[in-house]
Amino acid sequence: MASHFSGVLKLTDLDDFITPSQECVKPVKLEKKPGQSVTKIQIEDDGSYFQINQDGGKQKLEKAKITLNDCLACSGCITSAESVLIAQQSQEEIYKVLRNNKLASATEQMVVVVSVSPQSRASLAARFGMSSSETGRRLTSFFKGLGVHHVFDTGFSRTFSLLESQQEFLERFQRREQDKTALPMLTSSCPGWVCYAEKTHGEFILPYISTTRSPQQMMGSLVKDYFAGKQGLNPRQIYHVAVMPCYDKKLEASRPDFYLDEEESREVDLVITSGEVLSMLEQEKVILNEVEMAPLDELFSNMSGCGNELLSHAGGGSGGYLHHVFIHTAKQLFGEEVKELTYKTLKNKDFQEVTLEKDGVVLLRFATSYGFRNIQNLVQKLKRGKSPYHFVEVMACPSGSLNGGGQLKALPNQTSKELLQQVEQIYMADMPSIPEEDARVAELYRSWLQGVGEERAKQLLRTQYHGVEKISNGLIIKW
Amino acid sequence: MSGSGALENANPLIFQRSGARLLTASDEDEDVHDPIDDREIFDILVVMSINDPEHPLSLEELNVVEQVRVQVNDTDSTVGIEFTPTIPHCSMATLIGLSIKVKLLRSLPDRFKIDVHITPGTHASEDAVNKQLADKERVAAALENSQLLEVVNQCLSTKSL
Amino acid sequence: MTDARLVLAERFNAHPDSRCWHVAWNPAGTLMASCGGDRAIRIWGKEGDSWKCLSVLQDGHQRTVRRVAWSPCGTYLASASFDATTCIWKKKQDDFECLTTLEGHENEVKCVTWAPSGNLLATCSRDKSVWVWEVDEEDEYECVTVINSHTQDVKHVVWHPTQELLASASYDNNICVYKEEDDDWECKATLEGHTSTVWSLTFDPSGQRLASCSDDRTVKIWKCQNLEGSGVCPCATVEDAFGSWTCVCTLSGFHGRTVYDIAWCRLTGALVTACGDDGVRVFKEDVTADPDQPTFSLAAHVSKAHSQDVNCVVWNPKEAGLLASCSDNGEIALWRYQEDDE
Repeated sequence: MASHFSGVLKLTDLDDFITPSQECVKPVKLEKKPGQSVTKIQIEDDGSYFQINQDGGKQKLEKAKITLNDCLACSGCITSAESVLIAQQSQEEIYKVLRNNKLASATEQMVVVVSVSPQSRASLAARFGMSSSETGRRLTSFFKGLGVHHVFDTGFSRTFSLLESQQEFLERFQRREQDKTALPMLTSSCPGWVCYAEKTHGEFILPYISTTRSPQQMMGSLVKDYFAGKQGLNPRQIYHVAVMPCYDKKLEASRPDFYLDEEESREVDLVITSGEVLSMLEQEKVILNEVEMAPLDELFSNMSGCGNELLSHAGGGSGGYLHHVFIHTAKQLFGEEVKELTYKTLKNKDFQEVTLEKDGVVLLRFATSYGFRNIQNLVQKLKRGKSPYHFVEVMACPSGSLNGGGQLKALPNQTSKELLQQVEQIYMADMPSIPEEDARVAELYRSWLQGVGEERAKQLLRTQYHGVEKISNGLIIKW
Repeated sequence: MSGSGALENANPLIFQRSGARLLTASDEDEDVHDPIDDREIFDILVVMSINDPEHPLSLEELNVVEQVRVQVNDTDSTVGIEFTPTIPHCSMATLIGLSIKVKLLRSLPDRFKIDVHITPGTHASEDAVNKQLADKERVAAALENSQLLEVVNQCLSTKSL
Repeated sequence: MTDARLVLAERFNAHPDSRCWHVAWNPAGTLMASCGGDRAIRIWGKEGDSWKCLSVLQDGHQRTVRRVAWSPCGTYLASASFDATTCIWKKKQDDFECLTTLEGHENEVKCVTWAPSGNLLATCSRDKSVWVWEVDEEDEYECVTVINSHTQDVKHVVWHPTQELLASASYDNNICVYKEEDDDWECKATLEGHTSTVWSLTFDPSGQRLASCSDDRTVKIWKCQNLEGSGVCPCATVEDAFGSWTCVCTLSGFHGRTVYDIAWCRLTGALVTACGDDGVRVFKEDVTADPDQPTFSLAAHVSKAHSQDVNCVVWNPKEAGLLASCSDNGEIALWRYQEDDE
């Protein structure tokens, strides 16, 4: 089975040969009831297991199931999580919810919310020869036609991610003298990178990683906290689907950090990739550029005043974190108005540097580091204490998020490089918005976040990371 | 996928052990060159146990090794063993094979070429396990892993009879 | 067996009570480096008539040292270990100091090798990946690429003799060939044909052919097609044509067990193999045969070259016919390959 995960996650797959369902070595806790040790296990012809109790009674034994959470917490493979993924995070799941809604009574119906990433929009736009905004409006129409209630834009929640990153960077910059792990701040919006860091470099690297939530999980807070509150809904009554350029985002949504324990609800219930949206279109026999355009959902969309055009953020297809934090910090700390950033390509196009200099002194040194090879050099430099950077925008995929593993594949008549260029052009064609000038976001900071208190606001906008311990059980070590 | 405390094969069939070896006159005569034979190898292996606190059974009692599946050629310095995992999906098969291989590597003169295979048709991942066991580089690396070595040594610790 | 002999010149215990995994000649052919299960690297030089241990490099690795490689200038030594690291050693007069340790592989590093320019280094590992590292003037190493073209343990990597082209062999039975395109390295072709683990690869002196040896007990010769003379595009260089390879010859029936190593002599064109049946065999090519259907014959064979598996065979780069082999019993043997005049 070919893996869809990003390259960094593939490398941590240490499994060798046994087929996926068998190669998982994650020990599953079985509830063992006391005083039942003398039992027999009988295997039926169909392969099911029965426990024969001493009194002769039979009891069917449950098959041990591995969840994505188990996978995340295990330092073993990652690719065998694929079968788990297909069961728990596929487009079939949204169809299930939509079907149930049609049958259920009004009170039992779920409110279905789909949040589409700008990168996914650009990927679909390239396939159907449209602009990103047009794609957004037609996708809104398509999803609503299926029974989805709201279609949001994670470009909107990304404004929160950018503002929080900027805030966090300033905090870290202030304490850089006292705290050796304050800088460089490494971005956290790429879940492949975060997962790799947790599994491979654990406690060493995690303090450097920004605690700011990714746009997907910012949207999770907005939908399951703010939106749910406004609508008077329990988060469980909302089914929240994110459309993302990357399979690793499915792992991110499954993190226990993004599960509301009390409400027993995940902030993002399902992640489907751009490619899976294409399969949905095909399944519905719908050609996207022939779908009618619907108005955009104003509530959570990053859009222009007139409400017709979706906006983007400056600084490239991976979210513009470096761009925003750089410009803001230059102004805030050094009083420098930076109009345009000059990227200097270092070893390769996926490793670039931006500096702020004044009187020959480097005040800020930022970098982008995309793809596994550059991540490696970054980590090794950090380990040797030779990293000169204050901030690094890290992405697992070469070329960044627009090139995510969940994006549409090139058609037979084009190379993947040509397609990527096309997607980049479409993405960049959107007018950029300036995060601190977004009045609606500012309003939400006031009305929503100040209302919930500082501690709760932190929970809603930030997250934490957990190093994964290496397998030390000799019985399950792969050799 | 054996859980902590949960047995994969909680009630294995238990086989009777073969009787003690009859010593011949030449066995006791130290002047006679005593080539290594099937029975001798078998005797090395049968005492190995898969050390489970609940089922401290020897490989022979589990029918994992049988004398008929031991082929020794002293002149060519070759030993071939076929072992039979207790169930076709036994996740311990690679480990049992590794333990058998290690036991023989430790017991036999260096000149011997040791081939450990799964009895044909008795395991779902037979070819893969055989290939891994035949790869001496993988075996060497495995034996440098202290956690894995500990488990192997537990398997090799002679069962108290 | 035809008109040649393999004569033992010297035999010594290089890694006592351990396995000797690999031995490498320095580019001048005056020194050997060996490594093994004792976690040490030993440097050997000729004193008088016999080879003496000049230094022992310890403390570099925590586990078996699987492979050593000299840089083309002979000043640096790279060592690959089961401890997942690669060490770079620099020669200082008669001693070596560890300059840096390259980390990044997830588990056992199986092979390391320098590109002919000396600026690039390739490593491979059980983690299924092949890495290329670049060295700068300050002896700093940076990872240039990580390639995941194999589906299993990668056993061996080898550079083309003159150009920056790379080939790797794996437990997945395949060989992959790579070159740099635009900004990154790409796998240009996967050579399928062996039916079990491919243990080692060697380019012929021209770099137009590749020989591979395998656990399937065969040796295969692969030819880079559409090269000059083969018709398709006479202007094509090895670099242009690096993606198209065909197997032109299979040597089967010669080896009794796994063939662990193979080396093509740049001076004589002879092909030598190291086998798990304890034998060392030299094959000679029939120069009159059709280049697309080459024939090789067994020219010399020592059936018990060592008392245990032979892990490695290497031709001395300067002295034609001088061969070193090493074995699981910890020994290194030196042989002279002599072709009797007809």
